[in-house]
Amino acid sequence: MDILRQGFLRKLLFAKNKEQSTTLVCVFLRGGADTLNFVVPYGDDDYYRLRPSIHIAAPKNNKRESSIRLDDFYAFHPKLSPLYPLFEEGRLGIVQAVGSDNTSGSHFEAQDQMEHGSSQHQLLGSGWLGRHLRLHNNEHKKAISAVAMGTTIPESLRGAPNINVIQSLSDLKIHTASGNSQSARDAIAKMYGIQSNILNQHGQDTLGLLQKIENLQKSEYRPENNANYPQNSFGNELREVARLIKGQLGLQVACIDLGGWDTHFFQGQENGLQAGNIDTLAKGLAAFDADLHRYKNSVTTVVMTEFGRRVYENSSMGTDHGRAFTFFALGNKINGGQVLGKWPGLKNDNDEEGPGGLKVQYDYRSLLSEILLDVLNNRQIAKIFPNFRPQKIGLTKR
Amino acid sequence: MNRRDFVKVMAGTLSLCGCNDMISAVSKQFGQGIPKTLTPAQQSTLDKDFHFLSRTTYGLWPGDLEKVKNMGRKAWLEKQLQPQNINDTLCDLRARRFETIHHHFSTCYEYKKKTLRSEMVKHTLLRAIYSRRQLFEVMVGFWSDHFNIHIEKADCIYLKATDDREVIRKHALGNFRDLIRASAISPAMLVYLDGKSNKKQKPQDIPNENYARELLELHTLGVYGGYTQKDVFEVARALTGWRYHRRKRDVFFNVHLHDQGQKTILGHTLPANGGKEDLERVLDIVCNHPSTASYICYKLAKRFVAPKPPKQLVTNMSKVFSDTKGDIKAVLRYLFLSEEFYNPTFFAQKFKRPFHFIVSSLRFLAADTYARRPQINYLERMGQVPFQYPTPDGYPDEMQPWLGTLLWRWNFAHAVAANKVSGTRIHLRKLLKSLNINDKEQVTKVIAHFIGRLPTPQEQQIFAEYMNDKDMKKATNQQELLGLILCSPAFQRY
Repeated sequence: MDILRQGFLRKLLFAKNKEQSTTLVCVFLRGGADTLNFVVPYGDDDYYRLRPSIHIAAPKNNKRESSIRLDDFYAFHPKLSPLYPLFEEGRLGIVQAVGSDNTSGSHFEAQDQMEHGSSQHQLLGSGWLGRHLRLHNNEHKKAISAVAMGTTIPESLRGAPNINVIQSLSDLKIHTASGNSQSARDAIAKMYGIQSNILNQHGQDTLGLLQKIENLQKSEYRPENNANYPQNSFGNELREVARLIKGQLGLQVACIDLGGWDTHFFQGQENGLQAGNIDTLAKGLAAFDADLHRYKNSVTTVVMTEFGRRVYENSSMGTDHGRAFTFFALGNKINGGQVLGKWPGLKNDNDEEGPGGLKVQYDYRSLLSEILLDVLNNRQIAKIFPNFRPQKIGLTKR
Repeated sequence: MNRRDFVKVMAGTLSLCGCNDMISAVSKQFGQGIPKTLTPAQQSTLDKDFHFLSRTTYGLWPGDLEKVKNMGRKAWLEKQLQPQNINDTLCDLRARRFETIHHHFSTCYEYKKKTLRSEMVKHTLLRAIYSRRQLFEVMVGFWSDHFNIHIEKADCIYLKATDDREVIRKHALGNFRDLIRASAISPAMLVYLDGKSNKKQKPQDIPNENYARELLELHTLGVYGGYTQKDVFEVARALTGWRYHRRKRDVFFNVHLHDQGQKTILGHTLPANGGKEDLERVLDIVCNHPSTASYICYKLAKRFVAPKPPKQLVTNMSKVFSDTKGDIKAVLRYLFLSEEFYNPTFFAQKFKRPFHFIVSSLRFLAADTYARRPQINYLERMGQVPFQYPTPDGYPDEMQPWLGTLLWRWNFAHAVAANKVSGTRIHLRKLLKSLNINDKEQVTKVIAHFIGRLPTPQEQQIFAEYMNDKDMKKATNQQELLGLILCSPAFQRY
């Protein structure tokens, strides 16, 4: 009875304000990003002592390329400046010292675990977003519920009811010898309909996507609000996601990867290897937010990585694999404008944490649980993160 | 002058003049075309020889099936295990023409990155398509993933051709310990996994663990192989001091950058002042570790037998691996002759990755290609250009990550069938003639050529409906039929 009533009320809500479903955009920084140099703890002397050649200097007024003061303790890397206005507006939330219980120090283990939404050695076999979509595919059965930008399906979407991997919308069609692609499409549909298995399911999904994309492509895309996407694959992918959102196809989840964060070697400071990556990230997210200004209530973006890096630099002026990282979330439903979480300090003598990683204060699943509950309206946290009890952090508005 | 000599002379001349049309003509003349008659599988279950060939090659070249049926699988396997005895001149005609793949790495620095990138990719693709040493090429692919190097990192692009030649190709069917050693001090690997900046010069220097970790996690023991974080650290210490010199053309050990202290690795002690011998000790320890035998054999069984290979097979293979001290040939011989390999439940259960899908399409069609840009573009859209995988685990050997590539497979299928991939030509009429196809009642034979069995009644009905109002003599109709076969779920598997 209760469930029926809830469903009825939801339908009523959707009917009223013709708004499309909420979209969650997951940006994964592959390689273990050194977030200590994103949100710089300039108030801690240990930071400068441990990183003699790769620290970011404390904020200075009137100096170009200075870090940007967030509060008495933290400052943004200068290349994060495009995101500062969003922080000021209170829409960009930051949580310090987030991580998983994975102690392997392996990129693949840590990424897999985080994308599966599991504890170490807990084998779930599907991704947290895959489970979320399975448990939440109410009226969006026919829609393009999930896209992954790029060429491979991320583990987080494993098990989702449909996944589409694309790089751009413009070339999504089938060309055949005679030019009559309809009969080829029909025949392919039949062949992929003979048996029901994973491969055939994907064949059907791909054909379904083609039909919808065809309708979107009838006009050229112009970003709104002077949004200026960076000229690289990250910028292009964000632009295509914006296009899909505006196309109102019922997009619920979009996954975008940004790689190049495995900075063992010459990481750089205000400029250099990592600064270039931060620049791409910040410019891309700022353009995406501007372009989607009319959809601010229905789009939320999270940025995460598999682990942070060691608090001290190595002998090649880089950093090795560490533990906790800084988590970012952007949207109207986010309690932004502050750095949540206590600063754990840079001293760490606990062997289990591995030598020199930042101590994990919050399990990443606690944050994702708040997003699922308050932003995506999915209450089945216990099924998405089995055997896990989320801790209250307060990243989202109720 | 016999045929072989003639071909050799022609190879020399042609590869110098680089004249593609002549190469195509000579290739067709000397056995690289389509045989006059072809006898595809005639039963509804997958042909055993077809299964054997589709796992030991990148796809069956027209005539391969008949060859194996004549000489037997065992004899064919033995021949493939001695690749140096297989004449590969026709492949060389196409694949040896790229200068940079023969050069020492120090010379590669004189070339533009674009040239190096393009020549390495073309070389890899053309070898996979045309080499008659197919098992060797398949293993080159396996080890290239296992010891993955992303050529866009730092100087790797100048060094990978040497790694491909001196590490991967030199040892692909050799001994595992030799392979690991070659890889450990390969300049490309020293750069890719930061071994060249791993040092202990000043007392406060902390080792760079990148290579040490991947050596244990990906190259030898596997992530659950029983090592600790301390072992990673100790291996990193033992491998400090290895460098390569761009101009002096060699790899060397600098003892002043080496951590000369005592190390403990997986329960073994490396005495102080081990110097460059520390490398040999580390490699002995990891190569002799039982986890390495089972991890490598598990990966091979997963690649060649089934996504979830039978445990007993992996155990038996590991025993061969340990007994022969890592003889790759012996392990493969055991695998391809094992009972488990011929278990019909594993037939056609593996999913072709994009590279495999494209190469097998071209092989089944005996295509004439020079792997130009339009051909490479398809690999790029499907995300499997050789040497472009960013992380050290290599392109995944699973179905799930590649399921998003179906649209691009379908587009490639139709483009190649209609001869619309520039720089690649197929001779469909000739293939149909060799298969003795005269009317559309015989399309089952065309399908069987590509999938190793007759189509099921349902498949047959779909093809029949598709071809219903079409004249089989018309080229576009033949092309659309072929396109559809290459699009089918059955052709995505092997």
